[in-house]
Amino acid sequence: MTGRAMADDTLLSDAERARLAALAALMIPGDELMPGAAALALHGTPVDTVLRIDPTRIRPLRGFLALPGAVSSLAEVEALAQRDPDGFAALGVVLANACFMHPDTRAAIGYPGQEARDSSAGLSDADLALLAEVQARPGPARDL
Amino acid sequence: MADTRSDVVIVGAGPSGAVAALELARAGMSVTVLEQGGWVAAEEFDGARPEWELTQLKKWHPNPNIRGRPEDYPVDASGSDVNPLMFAGVGGAALIFGAHWVRFMPSDFRVRSLDGVADDWPFTYDDLAPFYAYVEEAVGVSGLSGNPAYPDGAPCPLPPLPMGKVGRKAAEGMNALGWHWWPGSNAIPSRAYRGLQPCVLRGTCGTGCSDGAKGTPDRTHWPEALRLGVRLLTGARVADVETDAQGRASGAVWIDRAGARHRARGDVVIVCANGIGTPRLLLMSGLAGRSGLVGRRLMMHPYAGVMGTFDEDLESWVGPAGQILVSMQFYETDASRGFLRGAKWNAMPAGGPQSFRAGYTGGTLTEGWGPALHDSVRRKFGRSFEWGIIGEDLPDPANRIVLSDHLTDSDGLPAPEIRYTMSDNTHRMLAFHTARAVEAMEAAGAIATEVTPLIRDCGWHLMGTAVMGSDPETSVVDEFGRVHDVPNLLVMDGSTFPTSSGMNPTATIMAVAARSVLDLIERRGEIAPAA
Repeated sequence: MTGRAMADDTLLSDAERARLAALAALMIPGDELMPGAAALALHGTPVDTVLRIDPTRIRPLRGFLALPGAVSSLAEVEALAQRDPDGFAALGVVLANACFMHPDTRAAIGYPGQEARDSSAGLSDADLALLAEVQARPGPARDL
Repeated sequence: MADTRSDVVIVGAGPSGAVAALELARAGMSVTVLEQGGWVAAEEFDGARPEWELTQLKKWHPNPNIRGRPEDYPVDASGSDVNPLMFAGVGGAALIFGAHWVRFMPSDFRVRSLDGVADDWPFTYDDLAPFYAYVEEAVGVSGLSGNPAYPDGAPCPLPPLPMGKVGRKAAEGMNALGWHWWPGSNAIPSRAYRGLQPCVLRGTCGTGCSDGAKGTPDRTHWPEALRLGVRLLTGARVADVETDAQGRASGAVWIDRAGARHRARGDVVIVCANGIGTPRLLLMSGLAGRSGLVGRRLMMHPYAGVMGTFDEDLESWVGPAGQILVSMQFYETDASRGFLRGAKWNAMPAGGPQSFRAGYTGGTLTEGWGPALHDSVRRKFGRSFEWGIIGEDLPDPANRIVLSDHLTDSDGLPAPEIRYTMSDNTHRMLAFHTARAVEAMEAAGAIATEVTPLIRDCGWHLMGTAVMGSDPETSVVDEFGRVHDVPNLLVMDGSTFPTSSGMNPTATIMAVAARSVLDLIERRGEIAPAA
């Protein structure tokens, strides 16, 4: 299993990771621009990172992963989600965060993270030109 | 039970408690402050870490029921259209607020006279204006003076933050329609200011500023208050405000995190525990009940949003968030619209990529997954922003908090139970405003818009539950926050507001607290303490 070597056995078992990988492949399939769950090996260390930061997701996630039923299509995942909405919500939180915290995903969508920038420039000339139109209009407050 | 004694006991170390404590200490009075939460260092916030979007779902969530920290009390909101939001800590909910800083408009203080509903305030905008200026200087508010929505232009002590691509796009749409907008004013310094760092536009204001660049009381007020000798006790949950045989407040009983009870005695007690916590404490203490209005008239500002998506990169994860622009175009009453009063708009960045993970809109649980996930992120991420709409919530005695008969906090104290229904007036108001905001988005060139008619987790603004007025039969406190029944017991938070305005209330909470506490200091010799 890709990513398995780094995964933490105390968080999820091999069987749970296999089930998670199958679900993740359907929910985050990847395309010509975006890496998918398999390529990112989300079911390994990325998911472990999320679960360590927010361990409250472990229990509902494991409950969802234990549900019997095939997971070969999103329709089948939907059927499971209807049976256990809370478990599916935990799965969604875990997979989405594992995906969007991953540097490869961030690179693919052009997201540098919530980076620090200089705020000292204030309003630009373009801003002030737009503002001049507001200043030329009457104010919105009623005359008391 | 261990006892302490001071001139004044304050319950709550949030914005109004901080203002009160600092002014009292400057006046040479001894002060003990009881705060159920603790200190939160900037380094604890996750804004600069990759897990920022994960931890805002629980650890830094504004809903105490979701956050579930030991210092939080649970809230039964099953009977409410809106969930109340708050944070227990030194600095209060400001620690995780968006730092939108707006004064109420002059008409907000005269709702009864102008529109024939609700009540006028006992004072006017002009009366409060010097106190706004006073707290704005302390907080380090950034913004552009000269806003034509205000008679005095709502001056700000620091220059505005950048509008960025989002702000310019929003402004283009408003100008195309000839509608009012103005660069947003925020409790976020655009320059290094006293103990505050300059904003770095990280855009994570709503989950705590990891850069020390938000004007929160833990940075703007508490350092000086502590230097002046204020005794701030954290992890101190107040269970009861005590009175003597003559009905005068004598102090507060508080519980530490180990469960031990303590008594803080004082000549004056000031409650600053927010619009839920304050009436809860008054009800638990059996105080201020003459008018029957403690806990009633709860106002929480139902909030709607319109997200616009554009066919260009707006870098819409960049801050501040924070309000980039505001609009008061439809703030004042126009009865032809089918409702009274109005709403403020604030343009805000859309945030990180998970803002666009679908599955929240009532469709199938999996509809935001599979190929749709990437499609949604590709179309919207960095290319969207929101016009948020804060509608004025008129007071209704039926909207209230009571003490729960089945839910308690970790100390066994009754939790607040919220009974709150959004009014027809508010429904019509938000429908009108969201329709106009769609027009504003389309005028700006949006290729798609999404309306959220009501965000359930929006109850940031907790007001009205210990209303001020001159008549003890129809109000709980006077214009300076003094409880009619208990003259040495004061309330200094949004609980006292007769009406809610359509504005974020922290500026007014702090300004009213400053007005009240300076009056208290002036009249200190007139106060008869408990026996």
